[in-house]
Amino acid sequence: MSQLLSAPLQIGDFVSDCSLPDGSRLFELRGRPIILAFAPEAWNPAHTYQSELFAQLLRDFNEGATFIEACTDDWHNFDTASDLASQFGVAGKRALFLVDEHGILRWKIEVEPNEVISLGEVIAALEQLKAKPQNAGGISRRAFLSATLAAAAVLSLPLLEAKADPQLPKPEVAREQNAPPAPYDSSGTIPVTLRVNGKARKLQLEPRVALLDALREYLHLTGTKKGCDHGQCGACTVHIDGERQLSCLTLAVMSQGKNITTIEGLASGDNLHPVQSAFIKHDAFQCGYCTPGQIMSATALIKEGHAHTDAEIRESMSGNLCRCAAYPNIIAAIKEAQGEVRSA
Amino acid sequence: MHPFQYERARNAKNAVSTVAQNPTATFIAGGTSHVDLMKENVHRPDLVVDISGLPLQSIGGHDGGIRIGANVSNTQVAYHPDIVARYPGLSEAILAGASAQIRNMATTAGNPLQRTRCPYFRDTTQACNKREPGTGCAALTGINRVHAIFGASEACVATHPSDMAVALSALDAIVQTRGPRGNRSIPFTDFHRLPGNMPQLDTVLQQGELITSIDLPAFSGRSHYLKARDRASYAFALVSCAIALEMNGGTIRRARIALGGVAHKPWRTPEAEAMLVGKTPSEVLFRDVARAAFAHAKPLEHNAYKVPLGQNLMVRALMETSGLLPLQGTPGTAFASSAGSVAGIIPLSA
Ligand SMILES: Cc1cc2nc3c(=O)[nH]c(=O)nc-3n(C[C@H](O)[C@H](O)[C@H](O)COP(=O)(O)OP(=O)(O)OC[C@H]3O[C@@H](n4cnc5c(N)ncnc54)[C@H](O)[C@@H]3O)c2cc1C
Ligand code: FES
Ligand code: FES
Repeated sequence: MSQLLSAPLQIGDFVSDCSLPDGSRLFELRGRPIILAFAPEAWNPAHTYQSELFAQLLRDFNEGATFIEACTDDWHNFDTASDLASQFGVAGKRALFLVDEHGILRWKIEVEPNEVISLGEVIAALEQLKAKPQNAGGISRRAFLSATLAAAAVLSLPLLEAKADPQLPKPEVAREQNAPPAPYDSSGTIPVTLRVNGKARKLQLEPRVALLDALREYLHLTGTKKGCDHGQCGACTVHIDGERQLSCLTLAVMSQGKNITTIEGLASGDNLHPVQSAFIKHDAFQCGYCTPGQIMSATALIKEGHAHTDAEIRESMSGNLCRCAAYPNIIAAIKEAQGEVRSA
Repeated sequence: MHPFQYERARNAKNAVSTVAQNPTATFIAGGTSHVDLMKENVHRPDLVVDISGLPLQSIGGHDGGIRIGANVSNTQVAYHPDIVARYPGLSEAILAGASAQIRNMATTAGNPLQRTRCPYFRDTTQACNKREPGTGCAALTGINRVHAIFGASEACVATHPSDMAVALSALDAIVQTRGPRGNRSIPFTDFHRLPGNMPQLDTVLQQGELITSIDLPAFSGRSHYLKARDRASYAFALVSCAIALEMNGGTIRRARIALGGVAHKPWRTPEAEAMLVGKTPSEVLFRDVARAAFAHAKPLEHNAYKVPLGQNLMVRALMETSGLLPLQGTPGTAFASSAGSVAGIIPLSA
């Protein structure tokens, strides 16, 4: 297949048929616009930047779907070393192609190694197509709904790994940006998709809503507590992408695309997390108000692996205040759970 | 909270031009300072540009030193093996501050840009020139126990609350920025301002100027941070002290000392630093140096205690850095930086 094309595809070219990684044919997707994305990295929904990008693409073009549905529905992950990549003239490179419903290449971008392409750029290109009248090959929101929305997200990935690299941070590509502003409605709200305890939840929120309030007031997950609302007590501690963070100082809109775990999501079915069991065994609370935050903080502490002695545990837990002063029992519970999690 | 529009930055260039063009726009990174102050109605932006997704997230060797991307979290910096090994004073400063949760959220650029913890600044019913220029300074004649003893003005006696910034000052870090008119490198010691008659400006950053990284220059000496506070953990510094010491055999080749909790910016002490050059470390020397460092302090009604506290802290920090006293904990940990026990259970030996 790689011998089919000598020159790389140009805008306006007809994209010839080829087989897709899942065994289907490109021609079978005719009748709906397709984004083809090539990247050396595998798409991983757990990766913040990928899922965030993906969620926003869907939000802008497909009001009905969550990114979970889309990625399980019609997903094609293209390898840069594949025949398909050489057919498109992008072997070994990162690139994005937008093919319209008639099979014509409408837009493409190649991304040099270490270059970053932003979401806005992709959306701007799509918006431009969308703006044209339908008969000129424009793309409608509806049409896009069924599109094979592929790994646009992977393009933003390469610089985002926090690995030691002497040349980083690198300058970003300077390109003119014309992407539309976020879609506000008259009430000043925007669509916000939160991934809480493994489920995507769609909300319509003002940007000023804190994650804590989104969880408690909009999703009715009231396990996460509001103590001070100013970052001073730790009652609102949740895990964001596995790290303990404060939901009262987090804007919900900024947590999109991240994995949020609350106290409701800690147990697996009826099996309590070892930290939960240890808190019960050691009577590590009185009124219980600080307890969800203590437990979320403690589970993260164990995973971090920096605190072992009583003094280290106290220091590492100092962001969680307990009005009832159950501290000695909290320390005992954490020590026991730490032993169990380690030996498990 | 004042309502605002939210925009996720598409790239650095776009973030800079958006915020530069709109005087009511701000950046947001970890949000731990900005969201808190928006909730208090102290910050009232109309547009918030989220830069947390920009690829300013790496930390690595640069010019013999280390370049820390603006979005690297405080936790990542504090536990980074090269920082712990070569700049333990920076890890100590970060780990002495805030809580594990906040350090996970807080960023390298956001930390030195956090606003003062002056209670009058945070209370919109009080006079505060930093919050509302021209309204006066309630702290000047109010309860000023936690306020400045150096470099203050009639207009403002607030202190800068960051621990990390104090260590960065002693290490002569460089702030790299990208602004509407190009890039700048700003020495950390010039980055924060004194209040003068424009206390509303904390730093020399222009509207829309984005920090891209903070660079630590090459350094082969010892660094250390010591913090005194009201509680053993999770409290802002009353006084803190960062030391960067380079030895030449038994004598001091170069010393840099920065004080926290005493001024509108990390307070460097050039006269005291000069007194150390070429000398052999001793308690007598360090007491002289500390006396000189605080000679021009101007305490307010409730904060004269900061002078002896600061002097003693500086002496002890110098003793510990030069090896005349043992550190209170492993270098690079919160235990090394906590003057007066951590979480109340390590007995004080000094
Ligand atoms: C309860 C509590 C206790 C604390 N205790 C301590 C303590 O003991 N010691 C201590 O040092 N700190 C302490 N902190 C403060 C905390 O360390 C800071 O709030 C945090 O470091 C700020 O970083 P951030 O990324 O969250 O900043 P943000 O809140 O996101 O931003 C702060 C400011 O920086 C600007 N900004 C952010 N990134 C950039 C950039 N790249 N370029 C230009 N401008 C930018 C924003 O516009 C904003 O004005 C505490 C905070 C709380 C809530
Ligand atoms: S409610 Fe978030 S820290 Fe208190
Ligand atoms: S158990 Fe009551 S506040 Fe901790």
